[in-house]
Order: sequence, then C-alpha cells, then structure tokens
Amino acid sequence: MSKNRHTIKQKALQLLFDWLGGAYLIATLHRIVWRVVLIGDSLPAAHSTLIANVPDWAIYALAGVLIAIAASVSGASLGLLVRGELSIGSWQRAAALHWASALLAVTFVTGWVVTNISLVDMFSGERIHAAGRIFSSLLTPHFAILPQALSAIVETVYLAFMATVLALPASLVLSFLSARNLMKDSLWKRFVYTVLRALTNFIRSIEPLVWAVIFTVWVKVGPFPGMLALMVHTISSLVKQYSEQIEDIDPGPVEAIASTGARPLQIVWFGVVPQVAIPFLSFTIYRWDINVRMATVIGLVGGGGIGTMLNQYQMLAQWHEVGTIVLVIALVVWVMDYVSARIREALV
Amino acid sequence: MKLLELRRLSKVYPNGTRALDSVTLSVDRGEFIAVIGLSGSGKSTLLRCINRLIEPTDGTILFDGSDVTHITGEQLRRYRSRIGMIFQQFNLVGRYSVLSNVLMGALGSVGTFDSIVGRYPPALRQMALRNLEIVGIADKAHVRADSLSGGQQQRVAIARALMQEPQLLLADEPVASLDPATSHSVMRYLGYINRELGMTVVCNLHFLSLVREYSTRAVALKAGVVVFDGSPAEIDQEWFRHIYGEDAVEVEIR
Ligand SMILES: Nc1ncnc2c1ncn2[C@@H]1O[C@H](COP(=O)(O)OP(=O)(O)O)[C@@H](O)[C@H]1O
Ligand SMILES: [Mg+2]
Repeated sequence: MSKNRHTIKQKALQLLFDWLGGAYLIATLHRIVWRVVLIGDSLPAAHSTLIANVPDWAIYALAGVLIAIAASVSGASLGLLVRGELSIGSWQRAAALHWASALLAVTFVTGWVVTNISLVDMFSGERIHAAGRIFSSLLTPHFAILPQALSAIVETVYLAFMATVLALPASLVLSFLSARNLMKDSLWKRFVYTVLRALTNFIRSIEPLVWAVIFTVWVKVGPFPGMLALMVHTISSLVKQYSEQIEDIDPGPVEAIASTGARPLQIVWFGVVPQVAIPFLSFTIYRWDINVRMATVIGLVGGGGIGTMLNQYQMLAQWHEVGTIVLVIALVVWVMDYVSARIREALV
Repeated sequence: MKLLELRRLSKVYPNGTRALDSVTLSVDRGEFIAVIGLSGSGKSTLLRCINRLIEPTDGTILFDGSDVTHITGEQLRRYRSRIGMIFQQFNLVGRYSVLSNVLMGALGSVGTFDSIVGRYPPALRQMALRNLEIVGIADKAHVRADSLSGGQQQRVAIARALMQEPQLLLADEPVASLDPATSHSVMRYLGYINRELGMTVVCNLHFLSLVREYSTRAVALKAGVVVFDGSPAEIDQEWFRHIYGEDAVEVEIR
C-alpha cells in the first residue's frame, strides 16, 4: 500500500519534471532563440501569438505534455536521469543528457539576452574614458572629509553592535524552541517548533535592505531604522545557527541528566547549555562582524552611518570623497574581520 | 523482596523495529543482574524502558509495588530520581568540574533556580565528596571532568548516580569503552556498591567472563526476547551458542 503510493508519487514527479522541462524548452526556443536572437525582435510582447486566438503559454504547456509522454514512453526522461535510474551506456541516458544540455544552453542564451550583456557598452572608447575618470578619482581620495567619514563609520560599528546585542535575548529563547531535538516529545511542542521555523525562515528570506526600507517608513530615516532592520535579520539568522548547533549536541549528557529526575529547565541548563555556550559566543561575534558590513549597505537606503554618507557623495558625483569613504569602509571591515576571526580562533 | 517487575514489556520503535518482545522479568532487592545478548538484541532499550527514558509500547512496569508504566510529570521525575544510571560513554558534562558533575545527580531534589546559580545545600556537597571518596577520586574533585581518563570518568558517573541514593542502579555497558584493567576496576566498584551498600544493579555486559565474575544472575536477550534467565554458571557452550549464534567464539577479558 504505502510502497504503491511511493511509486505513484515518484512517477508523478518524473512526469512533472519532464513536462516542465519540455514546456520551458519550447517556450525559450520560441521567445528568445527564435524571436529575439534570429528574427531580431526586442523581447516580444505578451499578445504576440503563434496561433491566432490561442495564448502562447497554452501551446508551450501542450508541447510540454507531448514531450513528457514521449519521454515516459521511450524512457529518455529527465526525471529518470536526475533520479539516477537510467543505466550508463543506454541510448535513453544519452538522449536525456542531450536534452539536459539543451536546457542549459537555452538558459544561458536567455540569461545573456535578459541581462543586456554588451561588450560594446563596456569597452568602446567613450566608455573606457568614463571608467578611467571614476577610477582615477576614486584612487585619489580627498582627505578633507576624513573626520566626518570616521565619525560616520563609528556610528555604523555601534549600530551593528546594538543590533547584535538587542537581538540576543530573543535569539537565545527562540533557538531553544526551534531545536528539533528539544521539541519532539509532544504535539504542541512540535507545533511551536514548526511555526517558529517557518516564521524565522520567512523573515530571513527577506533581505535586510528591504527591512531597512520598511523601518525607514515606520520610524523616520536614520540609524535607528537601520539598527532595527539589522536586529530583525540578526534574530532570524542567529535562531537558525543556534538551533542547528543545539540539534548537533551529544545527546548523552541530556539523557544522563534526565535520568536523575531533573526538571526540564535543569535538563536544558546542564545537558544542553554547556555544549553550546562557546559556539554561540563565536556565532554572535561573527554576526557583529557581518552586521558591520551589512550596516554600510543599509545606510545606502537611509539607515544612517557611513552608508548614508556614501550615498550623499555618490549622488553629488564627488568621486574623490566617495574614494575616501570606500577606503575607510574597507579598512574597518578588514579590521573587524581580522579581530573577530582571532577571537573566534581563541574560543575553540 | 521484589524491587522491580516487568510484565510482558514490549517496545516497537516508530520505524517498526520490535526491540523488546513481551519481556517478563522480576528483580529482587540486592541482586546484581547482568543482561547479555548480541548487539541490537534490545539491552539498551530494556534499561531505558525501566526508567522510562523510552516509552514502552505495551506491558507493565512495577517498581517497589506500584505501577509506574504511565506516570508523568512530577511523579515520573520522582520515580527517575530513585533509579541511578550510568552509560557506556559516561555522559559527563566535560566542561564542568568533577564535583559539579557529581552534584548533578542531586538535581531532582534541588530547586531549578538554586541549581542554576549553583546553590546546593552544604549537606549535598559533603555527600558529593563522600561519594567521590567511595569511587576513589576525591582528589580530582576540582579538575575539569573531560581531563580525566575513561575509567576515572566512569567512576565520576557512578558517584553522580550515588547522589540519588538510588534503590536501583542501571548500567548500560559501563565498561565497553574501557581497557581490560580499567574495566575490572570499574566493575569492582559496582560490585562493592552492590554488596556493601546493598544497591540492586542491572548491568548490560558484553563479556561473559565479567558476567561470571560480578553478577549474581544473568538474563539473555535475543531479538528482544528473554532466552535465558538463571545463574551465570549455567551458561555453558551450548547456551552460549544459543545466545550468541552458532559461529560465535567466547573471548575472555582478564
Ligand atoms: N531510536 C530507535 N529507533 C529505531 N530503532 C531503534 C532505535 N534504538 C534502537 N533501535 C533498534 O532496536 C533494536 C535494539 O537496540 P538496542 O536496545 O540498542 O540493542 P542493544 O543495546 O542490545 O545493542 C536494534 O535493532 C536497534 O537497531
Ligand atoms: Mg546498547
């Protein structure tokens, strides 16, 4: 019964794979390779159709179905290939490999077209001249703004520090509640675990830059929204790192403490905490280091500190000053990186 | 005289493995029972079912006359605190001192907050030192647990279990990670605790020579079923092959 369901699921997945692969191949061949590369259209508008009154996507989908059926009947299937079920040396495997290469090729062509790659734009005489102008300015920094840049980067470092420290309590509590090995023995614990995992994964998938935009609308522009953005991102990242570390512990001491009749909090404190304390400290220091780098980027959208200053001079096209700021950022990032690596080394 | 009684105890793991199959066993006070059997025969599962670190799927556990099969919460914790346990890998908290590790045996009788801030009653500290003396390593009380040798760590684990003043001591292959000389030393401490302190011991063992030397009774498991229950002296060649399989050869540990 369950074995049967398993094979049905596998078969369905295989068909889905071949169908999507087929439809994608036909779609890109038509839209990109034929229309753009060979005919020379600009990216075709959606209403242009292969057959009157039938939307293109329906034709692609249908072609995909035909390809999936052909693949299934012949055995030259992408789905079977990725599952490693085509025997080496068979013609089906060779055909499926060709098909996979074709997918890779059209994806590369599409990518080239979509990103507007143009060697002319990069290396024509006029462009080379522009490149020379910005590099020569960047490489001859004006140090008049150095004091201002230094105070801005100090602001950035403190901002990153506050984001890390304020994220700590929530990260610690949530990480224990997000560790599978601690949350498996009752239904509601598994529920909390699942919800927290989903929530932190979701929050982490939103870039800190986007959080910064959100918080600059919420509270007004400046270092505060930048700090909030980093704090939110730090919580979601630390919860992941911490909880994975908790899941990695030796279960032996936990079992030993539990066998003495200890209470749940005592089991965690004596069985888990000693095993994760040092790695936690190391992750936290590394986060601060990462946050300094992120804080400079977040400053670009109004999150305060050196990033905001960089943004102002860049908009004024004062490239000598921009050069100074970049230099200061590079220096501080390098020092932070070096110091945090040394501290983390000393911890193990 | 009965301390522990298992009635038709079974454990089926979620993946379908039947680790214990209707095990019926009764343990008298003062016995030193050796549980033997091939690796995978269910010895560890049996021990963990007794103190409910693993939930049995079926059957009954009677301890000191009361049914403990389904107790939970505070009751379960009090029950566990009456049973000490030591492990093959010692399972000490390596970063903590030997004394702190021994004190952890008393967690069941110390408040959560007091234990976290390290506020143990002086009587417990004295008891911890006494227990370290019993296992012969009082001089190591203040060194880190992970700086000790394997045999010393297992003795710390014994001292930790003694903090519970347990009525029963479970030992899951306590000497399987130790060399022969150290094995005997640890086994002698277990024997001493059994005879002099009157503590009942149930101990999983690999080597029959140790079983014959230290246990008063042997119980053999084979695929989760009790296939032998009797005096260690009765385990002859024929029984040995029955328990360990036709191709097995007995190895001695001296
Ligand atoms: N958590 C578990 N999940 C599934 N099967 C397990 C688990 N723990 C043990 N088993 C299986 O149960 C059987 C008995 O294991 P165990 O009690 O560890 O035996 P022993 O201690 O005698 O080596 C083995 O087949 C083992 O693979
Ligand atoms: Mg075992």
